[in-house]
Amino acid sequence: MITTMEEKPHIPAAPRKRKLPGWAIGVLWMSGAIVLLSVTSYQTGFLQLTSSGTTQTAVRLALPILLAGLGGLWSERAGVVNIGLEGMMVMGTWGAAWAGYHWGPWAALVAAVVFGALGGLLHAIATVSFGVNHIVSGVAINLLGAGLTKYLSTLVFFPVSHNPRQSPPIQPFDTYSAAGFADWLGELEQGQRLIISDVAGILRGLVTGVSPLTMLTILLVPLSYYLLWRTRFGLRLRSVGENPHAADSLGVKVYFHKYVAVIVSGGLAGLGGAALVLNPGQLSYLEGQTGGRGFIGLAAMIFGNWRPGGLLGGAALFGYADGLQLRSGGETVLALVYGVVLLLGVIVVYQLIKRKWFSAAAAIVVAVLLYLLYISLDEIPGEFVSYAPHMVTLAVLAVASQRLRMPAADGLVYRRG
Amino acid sequence: MRRRMRGVAVAAIALTSVMTMAACAKDSGGGSNNSNTGSGAACEFATPPTAPATSNTSSAAGDKVDGSALKVGLAYDIGGRGDASFNDSAAAGLDKALTDMGIKKENTRELSAAPNEDEAAKQTRLRQLASEGFNPIIGVGFAYAESMKLVAAEFPNVKFALVDSAVEGATNVTPLLFAEQEGSYLAGVIAAYQSKKCHVGFVGGVEIPLIQKFEAGYFQGAKAAAPKIQIEKKYITPAGDFTGFQDAPKGQEAAKGQIDKGADVIYQAAGASGKGIFSAAKQGGVLAIGVDSDQYNQATVADTKDVIVSSMLKRVDVAVYDYIRAVAKNDLASLPKVFDLKVNGVGYATSGGKIDAKLQGILEGYKAQIIEGKIKVADKP
Repeated sequence: MITTMEEKPHIPAAPRKRKLPGWAIGVLWMSGAIVLLSVTSYQTGFLQLTSSGTTQTAVRLALPILLAGLGGLWSERAGVVNIGLEGMMVMGTWGAAWAGYHWGPWAALVAAVVFGALGGLLHAIATVSFGVNHIVSGVAINLLGAGLTKYLSTLVFFPVSHNPRQSPPIQPFDTYSAAGFADWLGELEQGQRLIISDVAGILRGLVTGVSPLTMLTILLVPLSYYLLWRTRFGLRLRSVGENPHAADSLGVKVYFHKYVAVIVSGGLAGLGGAALVLNPGQLSYLEGQTGGRGFIGLAAMIFGNWRPGGLLGGAALFGYADGLQLRSGGETVLALVYGVVLLLGVIVVYQLIKRKWFSAAAAIVVAVLLYLLYISLDEIPGEFVSYAPHMVTLAVLAVASQRLRMPAADGLVYRRG
Repeated sequence: MRRRMRGVAVAAIALTSVMTMAACAKDSGGGSNNSNTGSGAACEFATPPTAPATSNTSSAAGDKVDGSALKVGLAYDIGGRGDASFNDSAAAGLDKALTDMGIKKENTRELSAAPNEDEAAKQTRLRQLASEGFNPIIGVGFAYAESMKLVAAEFPNVKFALVDSAVEGATNVTPLLFAEQEGSYLAGVIAAYQSKKCHVGFVGGVEIPLIQKFEAGYFQGAKAAAPKIQIEKKYITPAGDFTGFQDAPKGQEAAKGQIDKGADVIYQAAGASGKGIFSAAKQGGVLAIGVDSDQYNQATVADTKDVIVSSMLKRVDVAVYDYIRAVAKNDLASLPKVFDLKVNGVGYATSGGKIDAKLQGILEGYKAQIIEGKIKVADKP
């Protein structure tokens, strides 16, 4: 009796207030990741983990994924699932190659946006006006994108390039480097001091050989955030994705906002296609060159919890992991496993302070298993290495999926009442 | 209060173990990373075999063969005629057969595959050719292996040929196989002699047995020429994911990684991804070796052709021509089991003028040794 009296009634904890603004959390995550990579590279001796070359590779590989992900963000925030990103990206590649061949790289960007946006318009007509299931329409657009570009490239490119699958080469963008600054960073990187050299390496990778398209893409992330979260238009657009009926009852033009969102989405995916075509290693349209990057962009967006900052992190993760395995292979990725063990160690400490015994125990078990893996192997087998980014994403999704929240009316067909 | 104390204690213990763990990384990794600073000198070469006095030319004799009665069907892999590579090479063989043997143009049919098409589409294509009376029928590419096994059994009187693969148990399917490893061996020798730092690289498209033949020969050749040579290798995608043959951006990054490690001649066997590898070589100021056709003269990579030292030639045209000729003479037994260096089924290109007479002499020496059987080239790494 006494004991029951002493027990306090369970009061649900008040929702925690955010002490830090979003950008500060982002910066914290970034610096945490850099410190982790730095310690890992220092301990394992794999300097490639934070070298400027790896960073540049990561940026180049992340660019199309980031753009496709931004496209997904716009569309899904307005409640339209866009699995047709891949098809819109393919249309963008064709448009970029066609205009780029005739009028240079800037025209390529414009044409890619226009072609992608046309794909978006089609998706909007099907899903918004005619109420077609979003997945069905998206798959149809993927098929249409592949078929249409095949037809068009046979028609237009074949007489010039004598190859129905490929366009003639196009002009690349000039790239820009922060000359003096980059050299200074290069000296720091060579110094091989803990953290300083790593930060220098990463920064140097970010400021050398930057093309206008890279700058534009990086700017599009805060711009999307500003438009979607800080303007009246953005609030309406998001309200359409959360509860279209309520939005409609308040006088928001639901169809209009959905149309705009999906068309912008297509344009961004098309720009992602242009990023592939204008990559200095490619510089032409090639059938099947997107290789599923539209879908990976979608995954990066889900990874980023339908928010631009998280999406940037997801795209960077894909670009980094893929770049690392392409450049340095299995042994370096194994070093990354060691980094994950360290990260899990930090998580364990955090969970213990929070006194979440079960999570801590689970993290310890995983950490020990990974550490044994790291100790016993010399190199991760190639079959696994190539899918390292996918597995990292799976792991992150498994850990964080409870905290992800998609727009409430995402994927639902809305009929005007 | 006590619970909190305990939590802090456990956390402290965990923290210490993390710290200890942080000091428990392997030491082995560091060695290979001092990339550019390492070996800076050219290779010490093994004594090359001497070139034979007379080089034996192609065994194809000059007697006229009449093939005007033949109806030839060609089923291409993805891309079809005009892909500036594999399929085009097969088409060139057909064209030569047309002019040489008097086959009528209207008696030939060429069909092309679509990307990601299913097995049924390939079967339909072969069945269509066979039921319209085309004989022989040539499937270009190992992608036709499964469908040809089925269709060849349905048409036992039609002669089939399959480039790059064999069909077990089908007597009417002639495999047209190449000794890619022998040509790649010579590519390895070229790489060793062109490298300034005695450090070369190999980028493969997809890690399948066919591409591993290239890798095996290249490694063996480079090591035979310069025993101490350092070789990097990378496949863009593992088996099963065929995007590695058409992802030039990824090919570029793989090659850049090798160049940053110090490799200065890169051999590519990566299909359309090869463009990215040439581009990386150009940006890094190093050299590259092409594959399948004489890529120095290929329009799609014209902007980077000055880095292409040579190309490993895989003469699909020779194989297709010889096969049609053998069918016309009704003498399939005369075909070589494998199109190798001996019958000029594989070889190396000298366009671009980077292979001087001295190196060519060395290459001919190795070539003669392979043909004589004194050097056995492995087809698996």
